[in-house]
Amino acid sequence: MKKNHASASTDEKTLIAKLIEGDAAAFEFVVTEYHSIMLAVSRAIVGEAFADEVVQDAWISAIKALPNFEGRSSLKTWLLHITSNGAKTRLRRESRQLSLDDGWQAEPGSKFDHTGHRIDDVLPWNVDTPEALLENDQLRQVIEHSYQQLPANQRAVLTMYDMEGFEMTEICNILDLSSSNARVLLHRARTALHHSIDKYRES
Amino acid sequence: MFECKDVAEEASNYLEGDLPLGKRIGLFFHIVICSCCRAYIQQIRQTIRTVGVVKPREQANVDTQALAEQLRALSKKDS
Repeated sequence: MKKNHASASTDEKTLIAKLIEGDAAAFEFVVTEYHSIMLAVSRAIVGEAFADEVVQDAWISAIKALPNFEGRSSLKTWLLHITSNGAKTRLRRESRQLSLDDGWQAEPGSKFDHTGHRIDDVLPWNVDTPEALLENDQLRQVIEHSYQQLPANQRAVLTMYDMEGFEMTEICNILDLSSSNARVLLHRARTALHHSIDKYRES
Repeated sequence: MFECKDVAEEASNYLEGDLPLGKRIGLFFHIVICSCCRAYIQQIRQTIRTVGVVKPREQANVDTQALAEQLRALSKKDS
């Protein structure tokens, strides 16, 4: 993780102690915080059909193993490794293959002439901050919708890198991707979201 | 010689600094002279920041409270 402050680690130790004690609020907190990203990882590896089951099994394994958790990584990273291992095992069992080749282009070829130059002008967005860009609530919905339309492996890489601050090497490790594939997926996801924001702003 | 299409394809790697030096410099010079690509890079940067604020989540058909309670019951059973 990029951010690893001492206070965060102390907070996490307290959280884990509370989980071991069986504190209801602690359980609700971890499920609320981590279920979504565990599902993203699971869907990216094993696909939609088995993802929920893999995450459920990962939770059960994690809770059972929690008293032995040594804190060598953050709780979130640990949970994602358990999820990833479960998903990979399931994938091997189901022998499903996922492909990166979905005919993607950064932008439609028609936006460029035969020399690779843009045909139409691109104008800067006249806003400086995300908050300003999000002043219109509809744009938030556009982004949410566009995110849900992304393939699972793109959602997982985008979530882990741009939202959760994981290092690329950790993402590759958890999702079992090569560095170049992970970067391709990240760029595809960003480009798709950029496209939806830009289209919304033009409309 | 790098063109707008190269910038569109390498925008993320360019922003993350994950390019060989020659390519990075080539794209940089293209971006300096091309206002469209400057705007495009600015938009991608804004997209990244904005998505970080919106933080969309996976669609999940799970009752968080019920799952938390099930896990808590399991942990008590095991201890």
